[in-house]
Amino acid sequence: MPTRDMRQPLPMGVGSLTRGWAAVLALGVVGTVVGIVGYAVERTQGMVATGMRDLGTMQGATWGIYIALVVYFVGVSFAGITVAALIRLFRLDKLRGVARMAEVLTVVALILGALAIIVDLGQPVRGVINLFRYARPQSPFFGTFSLVISGYLFASLVYLYLTARRDAAVLARRPSRLQGFFRLWAAGYEDTPEQRARDRRVTFWLALAILPLLVIAHSSLGFVFGLQVGRPGWFGTLQAPAFVVLAGVSGVGHIIVLAAIVRKALGLGKRIGRDAFGWLGLFLLGLLATYLYFVVVEVLTIIYQPGVIEQRLSEALLSGTYAWLFWGSVATLVVPFLILAWMALTRTWRVGWLVTSGILVNLGAIGKRYLIVVPSQTHGQLLPYGIGSYTPSLVELAVTVGLFSLGAVLITLFMKVFPIVDLETEASTELEEVSA
Amino acid sequence: MTKRGVVTIGMILVGAVLMVWSYFVGAAPWCATGVECSNPRVEWAPALFVLGVVVAFSSALYYSIAKDK
Repeated sequence: MPTRDMRQPLPMGVGSLTRGWAAVLALGVVGTVVGIVGYAVERTQGMVATGMRDLGTMQGATWGIYIALVVYFVGVSFAGITVAALIRLFRLDKLRGVARMAEVLTVVALILGALAIIVDLGQPVRGVINLFRYARPQSPFFGTFSLVISGYLFASLVYLYLTARRDAAVLARRPSRLQGFFRLWAAGYEDTPEQRARDRRVTFWLALAILPLLVIAHSSLGFVFGLQVGRPGWFGTLQAPAFVVLAGVSGVGHIIVLAAIVRKALGLGKRIGRDAFGWLGLFLLGLLATYLYFVVVEVLTIIYQPGVIEQRLSEALLSGTYAWLFWGSVATLVVPFLILAWMALTRTWRVGWLVTSGILVNLGAIGKRYLIVVPSQTHGQLLPYGIGSYTPSLVELAVTVGLFSLGAVLITLFMKVFPIVDLETEASTELEEVSA
Repeated sequence: MTKRGVVTIGMILVGAVLMVWSYFVGAAPWCATGVECSNPRVEWAPALFVLGVVVAFSSALYYSIAKDK
């Protein structure tokens, strides 16, 4: 009878509201409201409420923390879908436990990236309409915003939807308040051998199609900066690959943190085992090593016989205004590298240290994104203007808090309406039997 | 080939044609000087490009969800 079945909880904590979950949600909602208030102030007073000012005559920066966040969030999305696609392409079964959370992370990060662009625009509606009306293919913005925010978000949603259909079908057979939702998601899926084979084909080809799409998309995001010939500090061939690699670093760091939280909250020690964390740790180590190499090359290039403007910029970065942030960011990348290298050498993957590394690399990634965006505008002027400055205003900081909080809210809500970890085959069979 | 396969490939082709056409023909030409280089030859060409991506990836939805007769 439905009433009796209703008492049986759905797997992975779906539908059951706990105090811990409610506390996290409440915190997220408060942060989101702070962000909404900040944005309301920005809309009411105009962009003057932010710390951004015109380049040159106003000696400011027109791209500030919002653009740094766009680059950061899009970067986080990169690793999410990459890891998810690799798991399904190469059947990395020990990582299956993190596949869906990686997919969810991608979708949420892309939504946040899109919102970070919106809040950066003085006239967001005009900006969005004109982009789809007039964007030029020669401009990296075409690739970045048409591919990343639209195509890539859509592709990721399709991927998430299709890879989760089987679980939706299993849960749809069970009476619950969310049964209608699961039925809608399952869309007639019956888990027949033909459907399974078809799903495997589709997810394989989707994963194969998404991987090159996202490399192109992220490279073009790097080109937004790397192709600006009149902007010392931005113009360079390393921007695109460095963007892709740092995207991987921040995204894998996020997956590790999210996986550890889910593992602890849902008691999934076996599903998301130490070997899964070990694989993610090694992946992060490889990406970090590559990125640190890029950092060394970058520093050597800017200090080796620089031009006047390049010298001004390098001094600001290495020993001037931005030195604390530059060296702080480098430290938050080097320390996790050492931690991960030590764990890899001793083959002891400790979740606590991995989470610490995941948090640190994300702090480092935000710092590096900020340093990519801001100093070249304040200290890289080729025209004879004085040195500029930029400090994010309270409004920008409030919106930043709001964006991160919204991300937490979206993931927290998702966890209660759908399993954030794939149902195991045995578990779903069991569920089917119970439902029958 | 089944109807499912034909429609799926058709959707991928339509999406690809939309992307290629809007990028190389509909959008602004690949030149750097002159007003004609700034404006798209067909307004909303970038939106058509995005539509192409959406149609191509929707083929996966159709392939998975379409019911067998």
